[in-house]
Amino acid sequence: MTAVQLRLGRTATLSGQGQRRAEGRAGGLLALPAAIYFGVFWLLPFLSAAYLSFTRYDLAGMPEWTGLDNYRKMVEDPGFWNSAQVTAAYTAGSVIPSIVLALAIAVPLSKPGRLNGVLRGLMMIPAVMPLVATSVVWRIIYADGGPANAVLGLAGLAPVSWLTDDGIALWALVIMVTWKHLGLFVIILTAGLQGLPPSVYEAAALDGAGPVRAFFSITVPLLRRTLLFVLVIAVVGSMQAFIPAFLLTGGGPAGATEVLPYYMWSNAFAFERMGYASAMAMVLLALLVVLSLVQFRFLRGGGDE
Amino acid sequence: MSRVLLPLVVAVMLLPVGVMAVVASAPEGGGAEFSLFANIAEMFAGGGFPVYFGNSLILSFGIGLLDVLFAGASGYALARLRFRGRKALFALVVVTLALSPTVVMVPVYVIVHQLGWIDTYQGMIVPSMISAFGVFLVRQFALGLPEELLLAARVDGAGEFRIFATIAVPLLRPALLTLFLLQFLTQWDNLLWPLLVANDPALWPLPVGISQLQTEIGYDIRLMTTAALVTAVPPIVVMFFLQRYYVAGLTLGGVKK
Repeated sequence: MTAVQLRLGRTATLSGQGQRRAEGRAGGLLALPAAIYFGVFWLLPFLSAAYLSFTRYDLAGMPEWTGLDNYRKMVEDPGFWNSAQVTAAYTAGSVIPSIVLALAIAVPLSKPGRLNGVLRGLMMIPAVMPLVATSVVWRIIYADGGPANAVLGLAGLAPVSWLTDDGIALWALVIMVTWKHLGLFVIILTAGLQGLPPSVYEAAALDGAGPVRAFFSITVPLLRRTLLFVLVIAVVGSMQAFIPAFLLTGGGPAGATEVLPYYMWSNAFAFERMGYASAMAMVLLALLVVLSLVQFRFLRGGGDE
Repeated sequence: MSRVLLPLVVAVMLLPVGVMAVVASAPEGGGAEFSLFANIAEMFAGGGFPVYFGNSLILSFGIGLLDVLFAGASGYALARLRFRGRKALFALVVVTLALSPTVVMVPVYVIVHQLGWIDTYQGMIVPSMISAFGVFLVRQFALGLPEELLLAARVDGAGEFRIFATIAVPLLRPALLTLFLLQFLTQWDNLLWPLLVANDPALWPLPVGISQLQTEIGYDIRLMTTAALVTAVPPIVVMFFLQRYYVAGLTLGGVKK
């Protein structure tokens, strides 16, 4: 048999039985660890959380079926409603200002130039700083004689107890996370802005539209896909964020910064109420799924075309 | 106007970083001389910090490499190989993307507890070792590989594993590097899971060590801030040198190409 025939013979098997079997075996083996991992550490826990949410379970004995008790308890639990309110205030308070600020910064910063490139890099520093390092720094900033009160002093205001006053602690956290996330949002919006066609702006300028008009009637509508993406990651992130509260205030004072995931964490790991915590996890998941669907819908229909 | 305003905005944003640098550079007992390196040396000389630092390296490198290995293999298989259960696995990955660690934290803890993995490295590593995001990223990238290259190797009689290792992996390098960086940085900053699993201070990574010391009364602010600075340096360096990969990974799917 000549070499040419041999090659043809092999080519013929590429779409045939032998090739299928080889692909099936290799693909199965390459994918097997991931299949086991996602099954054991994601699918099984997800199903268990759903099951545990109908039980009472403290890690020691066996889960005890209690039907809808956990959900009923949640409706009547002032701690749950407090944490839901705190989460709503925390999310709205950090998401809206950070997106508005990020857009205001991204529009000039998206213009080409060496300086802007450097500034974009510098803006990302807070975003990539580990949260624990961030919290160490902001503890210093919020200390009684610290920089935050010095700034208030410059404005002629009296100093406040940033982390221990129950009317202020949540806003102290909001300021910190807004500062931390701003750079990331700016970078994402900048990338979106740089993808907008310059021809539209040229046409608008020819028609006599000023920069403010161009911003509201061209930039914002064209950028809505990117804006929505930022909005969803911001909201989804804030709803699950409790490390800032965990590190800076411990949920206090008097529950003022006890966001929902933190309340869930305390119930699970401080009080060993695994069933009740799982019910809260299900509620959180339902909210997150709704948000993902909203995002999916918007991203599917009407893009930045 | 923005030539003045933008640098000013960025300068204000960096003030907290400046606060960190100033406090971490202050000498012991107050004074004006620059003592950052002395403080770093003191931090690594004793106490828990060298241990925490080592554990952070173990977790970040370990999970980063495992993720590259397994998400790389399964992402490639999902994109380029026909095998039984492919659709089911892809559906599982998509469902996982929609879940969050917060939602499954309680049952995962129960599983780790029952496996007897509390206070072990595997208890900290295994539950986070493959990211759905990573599988998705590699799959998307692998879908774009030129079919001719794989076909040519098959014609030459190379087995599927060899094709994966010698042809696909080099071509997938940008996706794998992005994944490694993101996973490394995620784990470098991971506080909650190690905090739950590791009660033994000998197993603590930096975030747990710093957070635990921070709650002690009368902790040393200067050394703590030095530790915070040391923790913050690797991500900042990575971000500056590989900003393109970093942002591409973070914004995957969010911004139209």
